[in-house]
Amino acid sequence: MHERFRRLRRRLICYLACLSGVLLLASQCVEAAPPRKKKANPANRLPALKESEDKLKFLEQIRSSFPTVRSRRTSTYGSSDLDEQLEKYISRETRTPLAPIVDDATFVRRVYLDVAGRFPTSDEIQQFVSSSAPDKRSVLIDELLETEEFARKLARYWRTVVFSESNANRNSVNPQAFEDWLFEEFDADSGWDRMVGEMVSATPQRKKDTKPQDNGWHQDHGPNNFVLANERKPELIASATARLFMGISIGCAECHDHPFDKWKREQFHEMAAFFSPGRYYMTDQYDPTKKSVVEAKFLLGEKPPKVLKPDQRRVAGAAYLIYNPDNYWFARAFVNRVWNELLGDGFYSVDSLGPDKEVMHQLVVNRLAASFRYEEFKPKWLYRTILNSRAYQRETRTVERPEDLFTAVRPARLRPYEISDNVEQLVGENKGLSNAINRTFEQDPSIPQRDLEGSIQQALLMMNNGTLNNKLINSPLKKQLMKIQDSKALVTEAFVSILAREPTDEELSRYQEYLKASNKRNEAVDDILWVLVNSSEFITKR
Amino acid sequence: MNNNLLHVNLNAGGDITRRNLLRLAGGGFASLAGAGFLKSLGVNAEELKRQGRSCIMVFLNGAPSQMETWDPKPGHENGGPTKTIQTAQPGVEFAEYWPKLAKLAGEFSVIRSMKGKEAAHERGRFHLRTGHRLLGPTRFPHFGSLVAHKLGDPESDIPNFVSLGNTVSSGFLGVEVAPFIVDQAGQLPANVKAMQTGPRQQRRMELLSLQDQDLGTSGAKRIAHEHQELYRKASKLMTSSRLNAFTLAGESDKTKQSYGNHAFGKSCLVARRLVESGVPFVEVQRGGWDMHQSLWQNIPKTAGEVDQGVSALWEDLRDRGLLEKTLVVCLGEFGRTPKINQKTPAVGRDHWAKNFNLLIGGSSIRGGVCVGQTSPDGLDITDRPVSVEDLFATLCTAMDMDPYEELITPEGRPLQIVSEGFEVSEILS
Repeated sequence: MHERFRRLRRRLICYLACLSGVLLLASQCVEAAPPRKKKANPANRLPALKESEDKLKFLEQIRSSFPTVRSRRTSTYGSSDLDEQLEKYISRETRTPLAPIVDDATFVRRVYLDVAGRFPTSDEIQQFVSSSAPDKRSVLIDELLETEEFARKLARYWRTVVFSESNANRNSVNPQAFEDWLFEEFDADSGWDRMVGEMVSATPQRKKDTKPQDNGWHQDHGPNNFVLANERKPELIASATARLFMGISIGCAECHDHPFDKWKREQFHEMAAFFSPGRYYMTDQYDPTKKSVVEAKFLLGEKPPKVLKPDQRRVAGAAYLIYNPDNYWFARAFVNRVWNELLGDGFYSVDSLGPDKEVMHQLVVNRLAASFRYEEFKPKWLYRTILNSRAYQRETRTVERPEDLFTAVRPARLRPYEISDNVEQLVGENKGLSNAINRTFEQDPSIPQRDLEGSIQQALLMMNNGTLNNKLINSPLKKQLMKIQDSKALVTEAFVSILAREPTDEELSRYQEYLKASNKRNEAVDDILWVLVNSSEFITKR
Repeated sequence: MNNNLLHVNLNAGGDITRRNLLRLAGGGFASLAGAGFLKSLGVNAEELKRQGRSCIMVFLNGAPSQMETWDPKPGHENGGPTKTIQTAQPGVEFAEYWPKLAKLAGEFSVIRSMKGKEAAHERGRFHLRTGHRLLGPTRFPHFGSLVAHKLGDPESDIPNFVSLGNTVSSGFLGVEVAPFIVDQAGQLPANVKAMQTGPRQQRRMELLSLQDQDLGTSGAKRIAHEHQELYRKASKLMTSSRLNAFTLAGESDKTKQSYGNHAFGKSCLVARRLVESGVPFVEVQRGGWDMHQSLWQNIPKTAGEVDQGVSALWEDLRDRGLLEKTLVVCLGEFGRTPKINQKTPAVGRDHWAKNFNLLIGGSSIRGGVCVGQTSPDGLDITDRPVSVEDLFATLCTAMDMDPYEELITPEGRPLQIVSEGFEVSEILS
């Protein structure tokens, strides 16, 4: 990837000059930028940006002139630095003892769920637990991060995030194409900056004489779908961009000044103006017949040249979002989301950051975010750093007081697709069943894990769904269990296959007893399968 | 023992529930929680009177235009092409799309001077269902969850809050009183039929209960407890004798026709059946009100369904003697701009929170009162502004609940149900 960028840079050196117009606007922040010749070229000689590849080249140029890459040479930040710093702050604010580090069996279950999105198989558990290699946890982390399952899990997460509040007509979006594109990018460990750059700067244009359902908006082109999910409306794109990529809920400033934050109504509309195909008008708050023209201006005051074409303006907006080092919200929002997913709590609410004073352990998350930036926004680097930390590998405990955050990992309900994948692992692929699970367990992934709730409907589905139950009693696992004569081995196999752990002694004796007391072994095994699949543990990360 | 003990919150660890406390107080005989038992605890007559009080919230998703509903502005350009009709309330006119409700207008009240603070759907739907704005970290419960919490029977075999369509959650009151969401009105809830029955099902449930106790690390206890509680409730629902209330079984064709052969009409009929069977809170919904464009093309059908469904519901409740203990409120998340926009291909109205309207009746609400007034151009409230807090104080009072009672959040924070509002006394009898 690096080599490709270097080649691009040589080929596109002529673009550099054109960019200076855009870059100058962020000039307060480029002290550390490499020296470059400043040629005053008119901004309208910017590249045509016909293909999304052009946009990436353009963004790449902007990126290379920010200090991101340079500073990395002297900056290293690893899991142990993270722990050291975090524990210093935690101990200052709380007397709650840090939870101990989990054992291998718990670790392997947790890391498979978090990275691959599913329980490990009994072979995978066995292999890991029996290994005596001292660095086996970090080796497993590296291996899992290289699997396609990791890329798929992340892609699905972001698909749900982007579409969970979308009201776009189904004919004019293609969530699957969006997910598949993200999958490719995460699989290749592309920088988060590139991905967001492409999403935010996309300018889907309708093919002439086509209907939306015939891919009229080029919705089959993955990155177009962020803009399409937001119905190509500047206000919605701006709101989603701030919320998802900066962790700032600015949406309510659309209609009035934000009640407790610093964002003003004008600022919201100035940001929305980046995403308008033509002139952007702000409607008067009280009189909808009055409108005023608003010029594009990003949240820290960055203004693009006036002559930019719409898609050039979008790329400029993306650049201000991503590459202005003063916009530390961008890197931090991704870090905070990932942290929230892995530890059950975030440093702040993932999508409605208030004033910065609501950020817990601010220096830690800022440092982690800065390092993420220096590491070229590589998601795998971030995951690797967090997964190898003690903070991630602690036992679970419910954390109620903010000062106790990260003294333990919070047990979390699984995401719908994790549950459906685990079910699929047991009963084989079934689209109808997966859809039913995803629909019934559906919740906005931006809701903090602590606020996720179960429901009677979910219980009913797991208990009584005909497909699930029929497939379970005819599953390969069931057949395998029926071949095992020794009831201890049978119960152990059922536990490992369904809950990804061995049964305790108490559990062993309870189910052995149950098998013994039952005169129909077949039915007793079905009952055990049913109980384990319906247990709270089946839907919980520990 | 006082009343408060009967309304203990589900705490963060899920440890103390009202049910547990009753069981504790009753020496293990939870089934004795009937009137006699309550009396033995010193519960006063008022507590008993509450029994059986219900509320149906008709929510018009997308925010209806006040000027095309129950506060038309004939003769002013902001009024658009909408004609008006006289209602049974002398001097009070509705927009022409509401003939059936207009005839009944002497039986319920109209508030024309609602004053909101949110003009975005997500925030408005939260505000008008919870009485609180979507600010800060505390998630306030849906009014339905509050009703379920205060008036519902925790041992009920059918959820105390049923919503026909997705809605706002129970917030800090927890899963105990969360809305039970039904996707398709008139059908049994999905997966409600048990795979196994009799002793075998019971054995499974016993094993499951033991299994959930094993999720023993202190942190996951909360999830495990919630899980057990939900499975217990799900099991009760599966064998409930009241399941039929979700269906239209036994309703005559004439009744079904009066409610209307559309999803909304069916929802209204199911709401009546649920309330009749003792469910204290039911929400029904009709979307399609976000008419930024083509307002006058779309409104006849949308309003027509709601006019038919709500008026049939009203008459049915009345004829069955259910009205005096059933509160009915029909509202959306905010209003729409009095000035007509210039959207193509056909004009409409945008978001507006400065003034909007709603219908309210039944329970202890007086009929035939029109509260508040807006200016002829529809831009201002000229008389008796009613805040969302005022509305919620009124709803609480009509349900015999104390609007100023403090609830304790799981974090231990005391919060008043209504902090800055006063009931609209002119519509309370």
